[in-house]
Amino acid sequence: MKSIKRCQLVITVFLLLFIAGMGILTARIYKDAPFYITHSDNYRLGKVYDRNKDILFDGTGKEELPYNHLIDVGNLIGDDKGQMENTLVAQNIDKLSNYSFNGGIDNKNGKAAIYTTLDHKANRAVYDAFMGADGCAVAYNYKTGEILVCTSLPNIDPRNGYEGIANMKSGTLMSKALYRTVPGSTQKVSTVISAMEILGCDGLFAKSYSCEGYYINGSDGKIDCHNQWGHGSQEIQKAVENSCNPFFAQLVEDPDLPLDEIKRMYTKLGYAVSDDKTEAELQYFDIDGVQCEKASTTLTDSSDFSTQWGCIGQGETMASPIQLMMWQSAIANESGKMTMPFLINKVTDVDGNVTEKAKKNFSGQLFSKETASSVKQILLTNGANHYANSIPGYTVGIKSGTAQVKHGAEENALLVGFVDDSDFPIAFCVVLENKYSTAAVAENIVTTMLNALS
Amino acid sequence: MSNPFFYFLSCVFVAVSHGAMLFNVYTNGKYDSINDIIALCVAVIGLDAVYFIIMPFFKQRTYAVDFMLLFILNMSVIFQSCFGGVHLDTKHFITCIAALVSCRIGYVLCRNHRWIQTKKKFLWAGIGILLVVILLFTGDRSMWIDLGFMSIQPSEFIKPLLVLACATSIAEQMNKHEVHGLNIVYDNVIIFGIVAFVIVFQWWCRDLGSIPTFAAIYASCFFLRICYPKAKFSRKTLIIAGSVVGILGIVAIILAPAYVKDRIFADIWSDPDANGYQQTKALIAIAEGGWLGKGPGKGFLHEIFAYESDIVFATISEEWGLLFAIMTVIVLILMIAMPLVNPPRSYYHGTMCAGVCAAFTMQMALNIFGSCNMIPFTGVTLPFISAGGSSMVTSGIMTGMLVAAQSPVFKNPSAKQKKSSSGKKRRTA
Amino acid sequence: MDLAICAAAAALIDITALIIIFASYSEKHSGKKVWGKITSDMELTDESRIYNLECDEILIGRHASADIRLQDMSVSRYHAMLNVTDGKWMITDIGSKSGIFVNGVPVQHTRLYENDVITLGSKRLIFRKRRKN
Repeated sequence: MKSIKRCQLVITVFLLLFIAGMGILTARIYKDAPFYITHSDNYRLGKVYDRNKDILFDGTGKEELPYNHLIDVGNLIGDDKGQMENTLVAQNIDKLSNYSFNGGIDNKNGKAAIYTTLDHKANRAVYDAFMGADGCAVAYNYKTGEILVCTSLPNIDPRNGYEGIANMKSGTLMSKALYRTVPGSTQKVSTVISAMEILGCDGLFAKSYSCEGYYINGSDGKIDCHNQWGHGSQEIQKAVENSCNPFFAQLVEDPDLPLDEIKRMYTKLGYAVSDDKTEAELQYFDIDGVQCEKASTTLTDSSDFSTQWGCIGQGETMASPIQLMMWQSAIANESGKMTMPFLINKVTDVDGNVTEKAKKNFSGQLFSKETASSVKQILLTNGANHYANSIPGYTVGIKSGTAQVKHGAEENALLVGFVDDSDFPIAFCVVLENKYSTAAVAENIVTTMLNALS
Repeated sequence: MSNPFFYFLSCVFVAVSHGAMLFNVYTNGKYDSINDIIALCVAVIGLDAVYFIIMPFFKQRTYAVDFMLLFILNMSVIFQSCFGGVHLDTKHFITCIAALVSCRIGYVLCRNHRWIQTKKKFLWAGIGILLVVILLFTGDRSMWIDLGFMSIQPSEFIKPLLVLACATSIAEQMNKHEVHGLNIVYDNVIIFGIVAFVIVFQWWCRDLGSIPTFAAIYASCFFLRICYPKAKFSRKTLIIAGSVVGILGIVAIILAPAYVKDRIFADIWSDPDANGYQQTKALIAIAEGGWLGKGPGKGFLHEIFAYESDIVFATISEEWGLLFAIMTVIVLILMIAMPLVNPPRSYYHGTMCAGVCAAFTMQMALNIFGSCNMIPFTGVTLPFISAGGSSMVTSGIMTGMLVAAQSPVFKNPSAKQKKSSSGKKRRTA
Repeated sequence: MDLAICAAAAALIDITALIIIFASYSEKHSGKKVWGKITSDMELTDESRIYNLECDEILIGRHASADIRLQDMSVSRYHAMLNVTDGKWMITDIGSKSGIFVNGVPVQHTRLYENDVITLGSKRLIFRKRRKN
């Protein structure tokens, strides 16, 4: 009967609408539950491992780890407390979500994890080699880009909490390898690369300048050499080995080397170059979500005092240790392309499925292959002549640096370089702060690091 | 008892299902002593057994709705007894029995439309009295009467009365009266007046949750009424009515007071402790529960206000799992859908079913979708699952109407009433 | 804790609901018999077809919404209404133009007996006991 059918129709419509609503609701809850759960007090994250499955971060709160287990990489790995923002965990927190609606909150078998490329043992060894001094050390495989060591002192084990945060030494809560520092003479590597690109390999090797311990430049500024007796007349190989400031001041002043060309090369290398006295805008590049500061410098005029210092490695030039290390990869590979570093090898979701896998990545062509080979040779010669004893057992190409900071009150020792061994392709950068106040030696740190990695 | 086999099967399965739930409480639940569980078992299975024995004495055509009702009520007893730790919720158990009793009352009152047709003035009077009671005895702009030992929400009782009033008005559609050149059916005017007054009154009381329920009841009855013979049914009427409602709705939202707008447009996650506190907690609890829940009594939601009524869906989801909560809702849906299996036999019964269905689905939608932040949160109870005496009794009465529609009676109220006057008794050869 | 038990209980709930639905279907069958008893098991028929009387308040007319639709211009859109009380069927004229004749007698409102012939306009319907098949 039609009348009854109409009643049933009304009932059906109401029920269907409601069932449709329930369907939408269920789908929505299923989809958004991982978001809802982030507001829960019982929310737990997954784990972060090093390359040997050593635990670097435990979001489940169930693992027993030794006291100060993470004191070497704590400020790089970080945690979910929101105290340290620029850290691996804080920037990748959604990848660590160890929740699935199927398992509920009591998911004991959650397998969400980040497998990092770090070698915790090596980091710990490097940390100990600093002997309590401040600084940082970073090393990576220049063929693949895996960051193996990235330790920084002073450091913190996030699991100990942040009590006394006001009294912590500055730099405790940030991994120094990510932030700019004065590169000192390691900057000369960039200047050599730029000069060689502009003058050509033979053109640069033909240049020769003399050093009497100082140099009065075109604007009557005095550029001191660390050797007050002077190095006499040198060409590029000797100048790099001597790390001679007057040589590089004269090179920058040389009319064959227009400043605009240097600027162009620096920009190509990744510097934020500003041409007046205003500070260059701070720029970043990204390593798996973690922000690393780009190098920057100010270049105004070829004969300008601070421009020359900028090319030597003091003045307004700043570069992060990771950036210095990346340039080494372009040299060590003899390709002129940087190997882009990464921290995360793979990511697994709550069910253990691999959701993300690292891929090798290279930068664009920064400089020619010929330049790369020549500079590599210069650095290798420097390593063979000066570091064979202090870093025994490795064929290293290396450039040292001494950076004056705090207006000359302290001097930082820097070492950037690479191991020339296709089975052990490591590029590194070590910064030892206030080198005169500690028994630690940068060369020993590098040796310890290479020993721990090999 | 027309079908002893299925009757027996239903009894067994209802009891076994309750047993399985109790076993789940035993294995997964949080309880201090086993005595609490034994008490719960005795209450639930005992009520099952007693009702199964009584049931054959009811002279009914079908029993499916009765089984469904008992099934849901005892599930509800188990749910409510487990929140925050297993302990028999005596108050809820008693209200469940009250719901069963009111279901019988509802059935007896509503099964014969010829009888109730003559009593509809009492229905109108009942609604009127309830409204007066609300005005006089409830607190300032409130819907509750506090009796000390319990609170009553008189507006709940308007729902079954309104459904009945609508259902009885159907047969009056042909009694048109000419007033100032308009053909008017008095019943329609009265019912429209009642609904309009109730809605305005609820708006004034800021009890926005009940308005959609009343509107849904009225809308379903309105639709069926204009389909009645000679009610001048036309698509034009429907379209005009629909668009008027739509425009009114939009105007209402535009002119709504600020606190209403806050509820409609708020982003609850921006400040989880402020406006959307209950919803955020409810959603977190559902997410924590997952498909299979944390185990009866092991949730945290029982610390949140209205965990046993307004956000009960989330509380069940957390402790028993979303799967279980959805199953419960499905059982409710199936109970409401019974008139599709066993059709009602008259306009009156059909309209009653549609009205009950509208009221139940609207309440379920407001409760579940509201607590899960799909629509504004209003604080409506979930029929039979939420704790609360008034809602339980009215839901019982409305289920009684469903039973009545399944087992209708077509008898004149009294044999002595005037019989057909115009027709003469004739017998054909 | 054993989640399987929770899942099993949930499944059992649905099985029970299904059983009750089945029970309801079986009651549907017996319900038809009961309805037959309530209504004396009658049906209407004209030359070509049989109209089951499955509910109270059956509208007979030409309108599309009529329960028994007689498409003949002599039948009013809303012609007559059938009601059942205490097992007795009544027919009522609801304002038709051509009126109702039961066994040739014009009526407004009257009880129907078995094998009555109802004439609506030019249409003739027979009110009779329902025949199997």
